[in-house]
Amino acid sequence: MQLEYFLLVAAALFCIGIYGLVTSRNAIRVLMSIELLLNSVNLNLMAFSNYLDPQGIRGQVFAVFVISIAAAEAAVGLAIVLAIYRNRDTVDMEQFNLLKW
Amino acid sequence: MDFANLAAQLNTGVILPEGIVLVTLMVVLVGDLITGRASSSRWSPYVGIAGLLAAIVALYFQWTTTTNPISFLGAFNGDALSIVFRGIVALSCAITLLITARYVEQSGTALPEFIVILLTATLGGMFLSGANELVMIFVSLETLSISSYLLTGYMKRDPRSNEASLKYLLIGAASSAIFLYGVSLVYGLSGGETRLSAITTSIVANNGEQSLGVVVALVFVIAGIAFKIAAVPFHQWTPDVYEGSPTPVVAFLSVGSKAAGFALAVRLLVSAFPMVSEQWRFVLTALAILSMVLGNVVALAQTSMKRMLAYSSIAQAGFVMIGLIIGTDAGYASMVFYLLVYLFMNLGGFACVILFTLRTGTDEITEYSGLYQKDPLLTLCLSICLLSLGGIPPLAGFFAKIYLFWAGWQSGAYTLVLLGLVTSVISIYYYIRVVKMMVVKEPEEMSDAVKNYPEIDWKLPGMRPLQVGLVVCLVATSLAGILSNPLFTLANNSVLRTPLLTPATIAPPASGTALLDQPSIHSSNSTLGG
Amino acid sequence: MLSALIWVPVLGAVFIALLPESLVARTRQIALAIASAVGIWTIILASQFDVGIPGLQFQESLPWIESLGLTYQLGIDGLSMPLILINSLLVWIAIYASDPNINRPRLYYVLMLVLGGAVAGAFVAQNLLLFFLFYEVELIPLYLVIAIWGGARRGYAATKFLIYTAASGVLILAAFFGLAIISETNSFDYDVVQSQVLPLTTQLLLLIPLVVGFGIKIPVVPFHTWLPDAHVEAPTPASVLLAGVLLKLGTYGLLRFGLGLFPEAWTEIAPWLAWIAVLSVLYGSFAAIAQTDMKKIVAYSSVGHMGYIILASAVATPLSLTGTVAQMISHGLISALLFLLVGVVYSKTGTRDINVLRGLLNPERGLPLIGSLMVVGAMASAGIPGMVGFVAEFIVYRGSLPAFPLQTLLCMVGTGLTAVYFLILINRVFFGRLPESLANLPRIRWQDRLPSIIVTVLVIVLGIQPSWMLRWSNVTIQAMGMEEVNRLVQVESESTRLAETVGDSESVRRLVESTETVPLTSMTNPNSIAFTPGKEAASDKSTEPLGDRLIDNSLPHSKLKPNI
Repeated sequence: MQLEYFLLVAAALFCIGIYGLVTSRNAIRVLMSIELLLNSVNLNLMAFSNYLDPQGIRGQVFAVFVISIAAAEAAVGLAIVLAIYRNRDTVDMEQFNLLKW
Repeated sequence: MDFANLAAQLNTGVILPEGIVLVTLMVVLVGDLITGRASSSRWSPYVGIAGLLAAIVALYFQWTTTTNPISFLGAFNGDALSIVFRGIVALSCAITLLITARYVEQSGTALPEFIVILLTATLGGMFLSGANELVMIFVSLETLSISSYLLTGYMKRDPRSNEASLKYLLIGAASSAIFLYGVSLVYGLSGGETRLSAITTSIVANNGEQSLGVVVALVFVIAGIAFKIAAVPFHQWTPDVYEGSPTPVVAFLSVGSKAAGFALAVRLLVSAFPMVSEQWRFVLTALAILSMVLGNVVALAQTSMKRMLAYSSIAQAGFVMIGLIIGTDAGYASMVFYLLVYLFMNLGGFACVILFTLRTGTDEITEYSGLYQKDPLLTLCLSICLLSLGGIPPLAGFFAKIYLFWAGWQSGAYTLVLLGLVTSVISIYYYIRVVKMMVVKEPEEMSDAVKNYPEIDWKLPGMRPLQVGLVVCLVATSLAGILSNPLFTLANNSVLRTPLLTPATIAPPASGTALLDQPSIHSSNSTLGG
Repeated sequence: MLSALIWVPVLGAVFIALLPESLVARTRQIALAIASAVGIWTIILASQFDVGIPGLQFQESLPWIESLGLTYQLGIDGLSMPLILINSLLVWIAIYASDPNINRPRLYYVLMLVLGGAVAGAFVAQNLLLFFLFYEVELIPLYLVIAIWGGARRGYAATKFLIYTAASGVLILAAFFGLAIISETNSFDYDVVQSQVLPLTTQLLLLIPLVVGFGIKIPVVPFHTWLPDAHVEAPTPASVLLAGVLLKLGTYGLLRFGLGLFPEAWTEIAPWLAWIAVLSVLYGSFAAIAQTDMKKIVAYSSVGHMGYIILASAVATPLSLTGTVAQMISHGLISALLFLLVGVVYSKTGTRDINVLRGLLNPERGLPLIGSLMVVGAMASAGIPGMVGFVAEFIVYRGSLPAFPLQTLLCMVGTGLTAVYFLILINRVFFGRLPESLANLPRIRWQDRLPSIIVTVLVIVLGIQPSWMLRWSNVTIQAMGMEEVNRLVQVESESTRLAETVGDSESVRRLVESTETVPLTSMTNPNSIAFTPGKEAASDKSTEPLGDRLIDNSLPHSKLKPNI
C-alpha cells in the first residue's frame, strides 16, 4: 500500500465534507460534515505518521487530540442546536435569519 | 530519565502566568459551587480581575528576567513577542471582566460561569500566543474557539444569541477543520515534524526550496488564520456574531481573540513558512486590501452600533495586517503597538455601547441622538474612542496609524499605505456619524430611548467596575498617543528581543508587496539618489 | 514662548470644560479673558520679534516621539508672525462676536479655543508631522461648531467640510512621508528635510500631492465646493475664523512646504498655478455675481481673493511674496469684516436674501452704521485705494505682472468683478426704500458693532500705513523669494516706479531698496555657509555685470534653495 492512496482517500473525504457543509440545510448534517472534515485530517495524520514518522508517532498523538477536541466541539455544537431548537422549534439553517448577512 | 530531570527539562516556569489564570478559573468555579450563586456573583469578577492582573505581573517579571523561553520540549515558546501578546490577551480579558458584571447580572444569567468560560478563552488565547508546536497550536486554538462559541450563545433564551452562536460554531469549526487539514499537510511535508522551528528545515530538506504541496498547505492554514482575525473574505461570521452575542463577549472577541489570532499568524507564518514568504505576503496583501476596503465601505451602511463596530474591526484588522505583511522590525513593532492601542479604544467603545444598552436596551445608532444632554461622560468617552478609531489626532489611534503607515511606507508598501490612508478618511465618516448623533442633535431631536433615559446611578451592583473600565479606556485612549514613547519602546523591544523575528529583517522587505508596488524601494531609491 | 500660544487656549478650554456649575454663566467672560491673554501674549511676542532676522525666532525644541521622527519643534518667522497676529485677533473677535445667549455655551467656547490653539500650533510647527497633527486637530472642533450651531443644512455642510479636509490631510501626509523617506535620516524636522537636494522629478512627484492637498484647503477651483456650503451654514464667528485664518493654513502650507521645500519644482509648476489662480479668481467672481445669498457672495469672493494669493505665490519673487503676505492679511481682515456684517444683518432681519432686503442704510429705522461699514468693506475688497485691499492687490499684481502678464491681466478682471458683485449687493440690500416689513429692527448693541469697527479701523489704517503689516515679513521674504535674473531686472526697474506710485508706502520703498541691494544673496542661502563661499562673495556678485549673474543662475539646485 502506498502513502498516496491514503492521502487520496483523505482528500476525497475532505471534499465530501466540504460539499456537505455547503449544501446541507439541517444543522445536524452540517455538524456531521464537519466531523467528516476532521476525520479526513485524522486519516492524513495517521498515514503520514505511519509512513514518515514511525518512531515519533507524533501524528498518531495528534490524531488522538483531534478526536477528543472534535468530541468537545460536537458536544458544544449539539448543545447549541438543542438550545436553538427549544427557542425556534427548527434546526433548518434557512430559518435562521434573525441576523441578516 | 527521572522525574526531577524531566521537570527541569519541561521548564514549566514559563507558563506561570497561564498557571495563575488556570488557578483563578478553578477558584471561581469551585468557589461558586461552595458559596452559592448569590454571593459568588458578587466576588467572582474581582477574583477574576485579580488573577489576570497577577498573571500580567508574572508576565512582567518574565519580561525583565530573561531565562530560557522554550518550555515543554519546544511546545511552548515564552519569548518577548509571546509575552506581549499574552499580556494583550490577559489585559483585554481583565477590562472585559470589568465591563461584564452588570451586563450579565441584568440579563439574568449566571455570572460566575460566564467568568469561568471567559477565563478559559483567555487561557486558550494566551497559550496560542506562545504555542510553538502544531498540536499545541491546535489545542489552544480550539480552547479559545470552543469557549468563544459558548460565550456567544450564553444568553440561551435569546434566539439571536442562539443563532449567532450556531453560525459562529459551524463556520468556526469548518475553518478550523480546514486549518487542520493544512497543518496535517505540513506535518507530512516536513516528514513528521510538529515543532515549528524544525518544520522549515525539514521541509526544505525534503522538498527543496519550493513545492506545490507547501503552497497548498499554506492556503489552508491562511484560511484558518484569516477566520480568526476576521479578514475579508473570511469575515462573514463577524457582523452576525457581533450583533447577536452579548456585548461583553463581542468586546473580548474583537480584541483578545483577534490579538491571539495575530500572534498565531506571526509565529506560524514567519517560522514555518519562510520559504514561501513571497506567496503568503501576497495573499495577505490581498486580504488586507479587501479588509480595509470592504470593512470600511460596508460599515458606512450599518444602522446597528454593534454591526458597525464589527465592520470597523474588520477594517482595523486590515490595517494591522500591513505591519505583518511588510515584515520589518518596524512593521512588527507598529503592529504590536497598534494592537495595544486598539485594545483600549475598542474596549472603551464597547464599554460605552454596553452602558448605553444597559440603560436603554437598544444599540441602534439613531437611538443615540441627543445623548449629550443626558449623559455627558458616556458621550465624551464614546466620542473619544470612536474618533481615536478613526485616527483623529491627538488621540492614540492617530499615532498608532501613523506608526503603522510610516513603517509600511519605509519598506515600500506604497499601495497598501495609500489605501490605508484613503480608507481611514472613509472610516472617519461613519465614526463621526455616531458622534454627530450624540453631540449635535438638539434636545427636540432626541430619540425616544434617550428621552426615557434613566437616572445615572453608579451605585447599582456591577456599575462601579464598568465605570472604572470606562475611565481607564478613556484615559489610555487620550494619552497613550501623546505619551507613546514607553509603549512603543515596549513594542520595539518585544520584536528586537524575539529571536524568531530577527531573521525577518534580513529577508528582503516588501517582497510580497513588490508584486503590487513597482518600482520597489531599492529601485526607487536609486532613481531618487541620482 | 510660542508654546503659550497653543497651550493657553487649549488648557483654557479644559478649564472651561471642568468649570463648576456656579461659574457656567460666566463662560463667555472666561473665554474672552483667555482669548485676551493670548492676544496680549501675541502682541508681546510681536514686540520682541526681531524683524531683521530672516530665520526662525523664539525656537523651542523638545524631543517627543523619536521612533517616528516627531519632535516638538516650534519657531516663528516673518511668514508666520502676521498670521499668528491675525489668528489671535480673529479668535478674540470671534469669541466676542458670539451670541451671548448661545445654546450650550460651554461646549461652544471650548471648541473655539481649541480651534484657535490648533491653528496657532500649525502656524508655528517646524516639524512636518507636528504641522500635520495640528492641521488635523483643527478639523473636529470646526466640524462640531458648524454641525451644532450652523444653519438649516449644517449636517451636510459640516460633513462635506470634514471629508474634504480629511482628504487634503491624506495627500499632505503622503507627500510628507515621501519626503521623509527620501531623506535617509527618516526625520520629519523641517530644516533637516529642507537641506536635502532632490532631483526635479522627485520634487514634482512630491509637490503635486502637496499642492492638491493644500489646494483643497485654500480652496482652489475645482476643489472649492465645500467652502460656500461651510460658510453659508456656519455661524458667523466660525465663518470669520474659517475665512480669516483657516483658509490661510492652505496658502501658508503652500508657501512653507511647497515653495520652501521644492523650489525648482515650484518654478516648473508656477505657470500652472497661475492658471489655477486665474480659474479660481474668475470662477469665484462670476459665481459670486450669480448668488442671491449675501453670505454666499462673500464666500465666493473668498474663493476669488484666495486666487490672488496663489497667483502671487506662483511667481515667488520677493515682491510677489510680499504680495501674498499682504493679501493674506488683507483677505483675513476684509472677509472677517464682511462675514461679521452679514452676520449682524442676518441676526437683525432674519434673512440674507438680497432680493428681499432693501434700504437698510436708512438712518432712522435701518442699520446705518452696519451699512456704512459694509460699504467700506466692499470698497476694501474691491481694491479702492486707501484701504488694505488695494495695497495687497497692487503688490500682488506688480509682482506677478512681469512673470505672468496674461494671467495677471485676467485676475485683474476679477478685481473689477469684485466691484460688480459688491455693488449689486450694496445696491440691493442697503440702498433704496426700507420696506415696512424690515422696519423696526431689533436694536444694534455694542456687541454687534465693536468687532466690525475694530476690523474696519485696521483695514483703513493698514491701507494708509502698509508698512505696519509688512515689516514683519520683509526680511524673511527677501530670503525666501527666488528670482530668475531676467525677471529681476524687470522687477527692479518697475519697482522704482512702484515706489513713486504708492508714494507714502514706506515698506514698498524699503522693499525696492532691498531688491536693489540684495538681488542674489536671496537666491543663494545666506544662512548656510556650506553652500556659499561667504557673505561678501555673495554680495560682491550683485555688483558684477549682468552676464555673470546669468551664469550664476545656473548654479546647482542646492544653491537655489530659499531659506525660510
